[in-house]
Amino acid sequence: MSVQFNEKQLTEFNRLVARYPEGKQKSALLPVLHLAQESFGGWLSAESMDYVAELLRIEPIEVYEVATFYSMYNLQPVGKYLFEVCQTGPCMLRGSDDIIAYIGEKLNIKPGQTTEDGMFTLKTVECLGACGYAPMMQLGKHYREHLTKEKVDAIIEECRNNAAVNN
Amino acid sequence: MTIYIDNKPYEAKAGKNLLEACLAAGINLPYFCWHPSLGSVGACRQCAVKVFKDEKDTQGRLVMSCMEGVRDGVRIGVEEATAKAFREQVIEWMMTNHPHDCPVCDEGGSCHLQDMTVMTGHDYRRYHYKKRTYKNQYLGPLINHEMNRCIQCYRCVRYYHDYAGGDDLNVFAAHNHVYFGRDKDGVLQSPFSGNLAEVCPTGVFTDKTLKEHYTRKWDLTMAPSVCTHCSVGCNITAGERYGKLRCVVNRYNEEVNGYFLCDRGRFGYEFVNSENRVTQPLIRGRMSEAVSEEELMHELSVLLSQQKLVGIGSARASLESNFALRQLVGAGNFYAGISETEAYLTRLIVQVMQEGTLHSASLKDIEQADAVIVLGEDVWNTAPMMALAVRQAAMKTAANNAAAQLSLPAWHDAAIKELVQTDKGFLANITVAGSPIDNIAQVTVHAVPDDIARLGFAVAHELSNTLPALANADEKLLQTARQIAAALQQSKHPVIVSGLSCVNSAVIRAAFDIAAALNNTHWKASVAYVLPECNSMGLALMQAPSAERIFDSSNANDMTALILENDLYRYLPQATADAFFSRCSNVIALDSIHNNTTEKAQVLIPAATFAEADGSMVNYEGRTQHYYKVFIPKEGHIKESFHWLNSMRIAKNNRSNGHGLSLDELLHEAEIEMPVFEGVHDAMLSPHYSIHGEHIPREPHRYSGRTAMYANLNVSEQKPLQEEGESAFGFTMEGFKGQPPADAAPFFWSPGWNSGQSVTKYQQEPGGAFKGHIPAVQLFHDKVDKAPVFFKDIPEAFVARKQKWLVLPQYHVLASGELSSYTKALASLLPEACVVLSETDAALLGVRDGDKIRVHPGTTALPVKVHLSLANGVVLISAGLPGTEVYNWGDWVKIEKE
Amino acid sequence: MQSLTNRAKPVDRRPMNFMERMYLPAVLKGMSITFSHMFKKAPTVRYPDETRPFSPVFRGLHVLNRDEEGRERCTACGLCAVACPAEAITMEAAERKQGEENLYREEKYAAKYEINMLRCIFCGLCEEACPKDAIYLSETFAPSNFARKGFIYGKKDLLIPDPKTEAADLAKAKGTN
Repeated sequence: MSVQFNEKQLTEFNRLVARYPEGKQKSALLPVLHLAQESFGGWLSAESMDYVAELLRIEPIEVYEVATFYSMYNLQPVGKYLFEVCQTGPCMLRGSDDIIAYIGEKLNIKPGQTTEDGMFTLKTVECLGACGYAPMMQLGKHYREHLTKEKVDAIIEECRNNAAVNN
Repeated sequence: MTIYIDNKPYEAKAGKNLLEACLAAGINLPYFCWHPSLGSVGACRQCAVKVFKDEKDTQGRLVMSCMEGVRDGVRIGVEEATAKAFREQVIEWMMTNHPHDCPVCDEGGSCHLQDMTVMTGHDYRRYHYKKRTYKNQYLGPLINHEMNRCIQCYRCVRYYHDYAGGDDLNVFAAHNHVYFGRDKDGVLQSPFSGNLAEVCPTGVFTDKTLKEHYTRKWDLTMAPSVCTHCSVGCNITAGERYGKLRCVVNRYNEEVNGYFLCDRGRFGYEFVNSENRVTQPLIRGRMSEAVSEEELMHELSVLLSQQKLVGIGSARASLESNFALRQLVGAGNFYAGISETEAYLTRLIVQVMQEGTLHSASLKDIEQADAVIVLGEDVWNTAPMMALAVRQAAMKTAANNAAAQLSLPAWHDAAIKELVQTDKGFLANITVAGSPIDNIAQVTVHAVPDDIARLGFAVAHELSNTLPALANADEKLLQTARQIAAALQQSKHPVIVSGLSCVNSAVIRAAFDIAAALNNTHWKASVAYVLPECNSMGLALMQAPSAERIFDSSNANDMTALILENDLYRYLPQATADAFFSRCSNVIALDSIHNNTTEKAQVLIPAATFAEADGSMVNYEGRTQHYYKVFIPKEGHIKESFHWLNSMRIAKNNRSNGHGLSLDELLHEAEIEMPVFEGVHDAMLSPHYSIHGEHIPREPHRYSGRTAMYANLNVSEQKPLQEEGESAFGFTMEGFKGQPPADAAPFFWSPGWNSGQSVTKYQQEPGGAFKGHIPAVQLFHDKVDKAPVFFKDIPEAFVARKQKWLVLPQYHVLASGELSSYTKALASLLPEACVVLSETDAALLGVRDGDKIRVHPGTTALPVKVHLSLANGVVLISAGLPGTEVYNWGDWVKIEKE
Repeated sequence: MQSLTNRAKPVDRRPMNFMERMYLPAVLKGMSITFSHMFKKAPTVRYPDETRPFSPVFRGLHVLNRDEEGRERCTACGLCAVACPAEAITMEAAERKQGEENLYREEKYAAKYEINMLRCIFCGLCEEACPKDAIYLSETFAPSNFARKGFIYGKKDLLIPDPKTEAADLAKAKGTN
């Protein structure tokens, strides 16, 4: 199998599993999936989910049902910058549909797609618990709040600049 | 207790939820996710009612009736405007995505969603946006998947995964793209997958075999029937149109199969439509072999006048046919068409059960058991529905324990599952080569039959000191025995399951001893012995010697043998069967399908299958059940075997009172001749049964196309099918129009309830017994005061022999009976026959997985399959699959590398 | 006896006079009515060369419809058969296979579809029941045949010509050419 945790990741894996009682290693599934997503290129392929199932000694289908449930797990390869735009009630009332449409138009992608240069992915997600700042999205580890078209322009610009600097 | 529904008082049972109470009271309240066998989870939000604090409360609060228990004096409003509006709204939401494809949907006309939509009154789509769509999966040849129709009730996963223990169907994703299916295309692995078609309230999962010859429920001619594929005798409803059997669906029976069937029973019906059917009387060796009935009877009257006439009965033919054969050839010349070993073992079981010191366990008893010991029986493969019942016992015991802890009601499925987690009730699964129920068992033992028996005797000894202890037993075995005995002593209703698949009498005796030892203290244990065929018990009760015993009789040459619905090559090793035929000067065979035995027959007579016949069968527990003709085949020569045999009896005795014996006359004669069958005629509706002078129509009142169906063949409308003699059922849609009692209902239907869920209307309460008195005819009677006679001969521990192996049959869940393998869809799922050896034995023989070996005296070489936990010195050979050979099971054989 | 209506007229029972006994005026009066018809427009038409105009709701023989692309609309749902009070419709459904999308509009179709025209009472309930606009009662009526068997209409008798491959036939059938 080509996907495999390295030593450091394995230590982390063992730490996560050790949190739960003996024989209940399935409970560690969510953190282990996060670990796998981080370790294997920001998304979960069928192969990496099978690997997680094997590590936790559960059926692969048990991993799939969990991984497909949460919007935090990416089941397709994602771009360098992942726009996770909330589309649940409060954000929707505050115009998340327009924001999503605007991002899509600007980057020429639809929700769930990645730009051709592999830079941006647009994704719609469920409530991220920041309804007071609607409409909002998550970018990396940070929330971007009170989104407007101008703010979206600025964020995209910022990402492009960052990418240019890092290169 | 009394509850008030819309201000009217109703009696309700404690421990039920409001939905169950409403349905029991006959009130139409729509629901989806709740199912009598699966309990409540409150997922669909469809069964909303108002609950009021007291008489003065006019506001009330909206609750899901399936999630609220009944309380004495509770006042609820079903017809409340808010509740009605809520229910209509919920349906409207579901309909925003449900495709309006009822015309092409197989469920249409028997769809719970259709019924509920009409019931709530939703009729106009206001939402005009696009519907959500999914990709469907290929789920194998039995079940069709059409995910767009899904309403997210979760019943499929709750049934397939939680109830039946299947682990390859699950639910994926969330909110508006929830997906029910497999992780990828592929055949559903559970042998209980067919129930998805009935559990699904709409057309997501449908019967794929029905698609080949699709017919709406309202166009089927149906009759109450009994499954003929194993000894459990599940109740089924079979439907016909255009002279072909179209489908089989579950017919609820509280005591036997409940709401479910196994795939063998549900999909194994197509042999009835097989091209391989015997449709014409044949006399071989003539210029034209197909003969008319007169010619046949003429020939038969010559053959039957021979002195050496023997009859071979069948474990898959009805009681009536076997009895008619016995009467024709005389009791002394009547043999059972099974091997001597099988006859010996079934005789032992009959003897044990007739003692009456043990209660014979129905499937319901097994489901409600709080400890189950499976001693040596491969229940999963030989009686699948019993395996499902065993699973329920393990799950329900854990659920009951959990429910008792927090005083949760039994229907509160989600809460109980949360509490139970992975706990299971006590199950000890002691088998030769393991089984899929191993993974829910506390104690799993894989051992050879003699050691299984020894373990059983050790348990019995632990339970009762008066029973002998094992001589030189190893400590591990004793420890297991102590563990099992301790669990049994704590249980209140344990069940011991055993049977014939070990081909070992000691196992049967040990099972008896365990159960009887438990009853020493008080009467609580019951026992179930699985038999090979649907009427094995009926045949065994006739106490006929086995076919192999014919050789013992003095005039075993130049016999004229009459073989009833039986392929001897499936029961006897080829050499034995060949020897038998070589001693016959004439062979007369009655059968429905061409097989190796019918090939040997000089005279071949077309026999009716279960769908074309009336008959009674005795299941493993001694329960007699009657099945009724679904239709009369177009090929006029096909008749019930007892019918042919009666005609032969008249021809042979050369006297006739002008008519043959009717079915109930035959049964009465059997009861007089063999008192063991006393009461069997109660299992069938009297042929004179009618309601207000009208018989029960087999066709629904909406049956279509009467004047057009056969108009292409003959413009003049044909006379409707008519049975010879009287019958409780008619073949047309004319007759009694009301709701017949459940045992006289050819199909379940109630106004507004077109789907199978209409069975609720026939029950006293959902998931309970039927209304009215439905007789259960049990041939074994409990004798509480009688002291059991224990078996005390314990076999020696098994020692593997050099160069010799103990040969045992390995059945397959879809084909342990003969007929199901003639069904195309099931045949495509059958594995290749193989020989199973232990790792050490395989190494000893120098073979690996897939290498071919020959087992003497068999003639074909079979591929090896290495089994990791199989004991050394044993070889398992696929049995029951088409083309597999029969060995002297339980005998020692030699193995040769190919 | 009191009359039930107020239109009762007493019968004139006087003996006839001479003129009346000659009958001639009465004959002439009658003949004048007869001959006057020679100058009126004939109410009969030369059926079958000519036909009368039909009411738009006239219910004649059935046709099975196709869509614009010539695919059969019928999905063999069975609703026409169940609606039929004469029980004169029967069908057998089949599943559309891959590659047959140009033949059948939906995933199911009628492999066999038969109407017993001898039993049909032309009530039109099948047409009303059809959810797919597949069955229509046309303006054709009075079919003739040498044998009763010929009145059992199968799919080949009922299906309209394919608008793509048999456009001329369809136009002829519709009477629009």
